[in-house]
Amino acid sequence: MKVILVYDINEKRVTKVLKTCRKYLNWVQNSVFEGEISEAKLVKLKMELKKIIHEDEDSVIIYTFRSAWYTNRETIGVKKGVQELII
Amino acid sequence: MKRSIYIFSDGELKRKDKTLCFETKEGKKYIPVENTHEILIFGEVTINKRLLEFLTESEIILHFFNYYGYYVGSFYPREHLNSGYMILKQAEHYLDHKKRLNLAENFVSGAIENIKRVLIYYANRGKPLNETIDKINSIALSIKDCESTEELMAVEGNIRDEYYQAFDIILDSEHFVFEARTKRPPKNRLNALISFANSLVYTTVLSEIYHTHLDPRIGYLHTTNFRRFTLNLDVAEIFKPIIADRVIFNLVNKSIIKPNHFEKKLDGIVLNDKGKQLLIQHMDERLRSTIQHKRIGRHVSYRQLIRLELYKIQKHLIGEEEYRPFQSGW
Repeated sequence: MKVILVYDINEKRVTKVLKTCRKYLNWVQNSVFEGEISEAKLVKLKMELKKIIHEDEDSVIIYTFRSAWYTNRETIGVKKGVQELII
Repeated sequence: MKRSIYIFSDGELKRKDKTLCFETKEGKKYIPVENTHEILIFGEVTINKRLLEFLTESEIILHFFNYYGYYVGSFYPREHLNSGYMILKQAEHYLDHKKRLNLAENFVSGAIENIKRVLIYYANRGKPLNETIDKINSIALSIKDCESTEELMAVEGNIRDEYYQAFDIILDSEHFVFEARTKRPPKNRLNALISFANSLVYTTVLSEIYHTHLDPRIGYLHTTNFRRFTLNLDVAEIFKPIIADRVIFNLVNKSIIKPNHFEKKLDGIVLNDKGKQLLIQHMDERLRSTIQHKRIGRHVSYRQLIRLELYKIQKHLIGEEEYRPFQSGW
């Protein structure tokens, strides 16, 4: 399943969230991740995030797509993080 | 689905913040560890023990290839599915001549079936291949009479000869002619493609074996020896025609791969980095593409298909269900 994750986190915890997200998804921009991930792994990621964030202060939004078929991705300007097969 | 990562640049692969990080002169690239199941290394990469420990923990295999794209070896982490019972069963089937021959026969007939599918596919597209198919059919009759795996290998070799000759009919390209099968080093472009694609299939199967209870050291068609993994070679026979060869045909027929993707090296011809990357990209796509599986009744990718094949072998070994090799139905 295709996932886009964005967050707005208090500075105190933001690096922790960044590092956790890096384990599962590809970084594309400041506070934006995307990637292809299994349902089980997504549950795991959510649990890890819940442990870090303070739910009354921080916010994480996760968009999921069952397939990448009907989505289109376009970048204008600088390409920050790219998700590549061959590095 | 977990991804394969292919590293062509030079740099250091290391563990950082509980995930993988590839550091080059240009900067750091983080690789999501939870979403990776194998890493193929083509560039000059520095690694340390801490990384290997982390990879073992995360059950990720590393495959190394040398400068020319030859398979060098793998970092095969400590078995996480360690089944003494399965090893005994594998050995039992290896030592019992009849049982071994039965499995080897299945691998060969599976390979031939899939070779025929490929030929029929192109025959339906107007390529004059009927003669080759007839010839293969007549050679295939002798599989039943083989009394040793060496004989089986010989029959398979004969069929592959016929099959490779048909490449010229399928491809019909002046830049890619078959001539003869040459290895170490491949003498022409088509042979270089075949060799590299096959080595990718071998490593893919090996990665899948790692996630089953099977031991890759005990193969049946290929004789188990002191040097290398053999079970992955056996299983790869079945999938080479439908994965590697079909990708090669696509690349050549659609002129995606061109003569400038090759270079003269080692008294032969090998793919250059751009060529390797093109082949890898298309192979990866192929492995991730899905087909409708009749028996399971849902879509499975080619990579999962390989895993299912291994499960079928496991079932055969523990006596649950007779093994029948996968036959592509299209």
